[in-house]
Amino acid sequence: MEALQEALGLVLDWQVLAVIVGASMFGLFIGAIPGLTATMATALLVPVTFFMDPLPAIGAIVSATAMAIVAGDIPGALLRIPGTPASAAYTDEAYLMGRQGRIGQALGVNLACSVIGGVIGVAILAFFAPLVAEFAIQFTSDEYFWLALLGLSCAVLVSGSDPLKGAISMLLGLLVSMVGMSSVSGQMRFIFGIPELLSGISILPVLIGLFAVAELLRRMPEIGRISLPTPPPVKKPFEGVGGMLWKYKGGMARSGILGTLIGALPGAGADIASWISYALARRLSRTPEKFGTGHPEGLVSASSANNAALSGAYIPALVFGIPGDTITAIIIGVLMMKGVTPGPDVFTTDAALVNAIFIVFLLANLLLLPLGLVAVRGARHILSVPSGVLYPLILLFCIVGAYAANNSMLDIWLMLGLGLLAYVMAENDFPIGPMILAVILGPIVEGNFLRSMIKANGDLLMLFERPIAATLGSLALLVWVAIIVSTLWSMRRASRKATPSQSG
Amino acid sequence: MRINDLILGLLMALLGAITVWASRDFPSLPRQDYGAGTFPTLIGALLIALGGVLSLRGWQRRGAMFAWQGDVALKHAMICVAAVVGAVVGYVLLTPILGFPIVSLVMLTALIGWLTGGRWRLALIVAFVATLLIWLTFAELLLVPLSLGILEEVIY
Repeated sequence: MEALQEALGLVLDWQVLAVIVGASMFGLFIGAIPGLTATMATALLVPVTFFMDPLPAIGAIVSATAMAIVAGDIPGALLRIPGTPASAAYTDEAYLMGRQGRIGQALGVNLACSVIGGVIGVAILAFFAPLVAEFAIQFTSDEYFWLALLGLSCAVLVSGSDPLKGAISMLLGLLVSMVGMSSVSGQMRFIFGIPELLSGISILPVLIGLFAVAELLRRMPEIGRISLPTPPPVKKPFEGVGGMLWKYKGGMARSGILGTLIGALPGAGADIASWISYALARRLSRTPEKFGTGHPEGLVSASSANNAALSGAYIPALVFGIPGDTITAIIIGVLMMKGVTPGPDVFTTDAALVNAIFIVFLLANLLLLPLGLVAVRGARHILSVPSGVLYPLILLFCIVGAYAANNSMLDIWLMLGLGLLAYVMAENDFPIGPMILAVILGPIVEGNFLRSMIKANGDLLMLFERPIAATLGSLALLVWVAIIVSTLWSMRRASRKATPSQSG
Repeated sequence: MRINDLILGLLMALLGAITVWASRDFPSLPRQDYGAGTFPTLIGALLIALGGVLSLRGWQRRGAMFAWQGDVALKHAMICVAAVVGAVVGYVLLTPILGFPIVSLVMLTALIGWLTGGRWRLALIVAFVATLLIWLTFAELLLVPLSLGILEEVIY
């Protein structure tokens, strides 16, 4: 109880509250613009959060991402263009509802379900995270090594249709993380005589390059090509929403829980959660034939799930310091920049901070309702901002942001180089997610491996000695078997396809 | 810009080979087989292997070496890439001399004017306001030492 009071005291500070509201509005704006994602909103926020205390920094990122995911529903429903990938699963459904004159209802359902899904996610997070932390406190470097490796492996497995490219993307990320002084042995690696690289490649230019500059490069040529139609006005949001939520309360609760669990899995985030719960809602529905024709049932499920997933992803991130998706990877990067290493110890040594983070989560999700309503009303204006004005501003913000953390021009070069690399990678269907996770997890995997080896005198099998480590290790190895099998499978299919075309 | 997996795979394998070569001298920990070189060598070796598989697969599929798909002309896309690279390089090289306000103002005006198809008045106004806001946020509020360049002499 005392910890809770202390936590409330931390959150109810006007600065923290102002940061949360400001970041929410920022996330709302970025999320509502098609093509700009929640991850990009986060990457752009990080330079500013660099100058904040841990709590407002996390608050800013949490509220900006939650808001961006919700705002992503708006252009989906109005223009059939999902604002962020997490809304893609139900864009058609919401748009078709709008065509039937129920646009207000569609957006109202989106908004209300997002809040409810988000709150379910926070509740699960707040309840389970401390329990898992208590369990995790006995973990040694063996378990952490396998856990981090498992996170990396899952990120590769779910990264897309081509796990081979996902694995290469991961290796590139690991390579980036190797630059600088090795944390265990103190050996300098790959610094090319540049003293600034001694402390490694700073996370900020990596984030901005991969998620903002690369996206800019991809989107910029489209300016003027696709002119957005004027969105229809939104009348009477929330009309009939209450009744509808009650009707589908089962689906909503199920998706909230399912979304949280999916979010907690390493590698799977809000977009996968919304696809899966949409598909599940269709399968379990009494009227599956109505799906895809402007039927709200799938909408209810999927929009609860994607917000719940955001909270779920924080369970492994806060408890183990192992990010489950790109956004939590960024959060962990931010915390490490501030000298806070997330892990089970934080729950005992800094319980107030952890509780404060949960309260911030709740607050951010509750804020979705009023701010989301403003966004729905103002959608026309947000969507009318010309990209030709917006993109140069984002570019300048990227440059200044990359420079700000270390006041170093080198970081701007790194941002540009990694941005170009990510651009070429994305154009060739290499997923970027595994790369950023590898940048964060690389030192964790390596450091724990070396510590384990020092303890075990170099005996690799000792990594399987402890029961939990053995379980995690087997899981990680299983994931790799799955990756290899699916790659070989796709190669065989491709060569089968190629053979008849050669003869014919 | 789609590049054939054959080329990309070979590039990755080359990168892997360089990594393995560059980490050959990293010492291992005392009385250990493992050390600072273990992971870089492993990553390099995996890059060689996976790059090899990727290029093999690209060769199997026999596509064009370079291909451009999408409804935007290649030339236009390349101009955009060049504009971004030019802006960043220009910023890094010119800010220490001319100072942040001038570089930011010119860069934003030029890019916005170009991308909006010649709405220069809008470009100038947005550039001015944005430069001012970024200066106030980063230089004044967050105390990031953005360079004033030649403006330093004008102001002081």
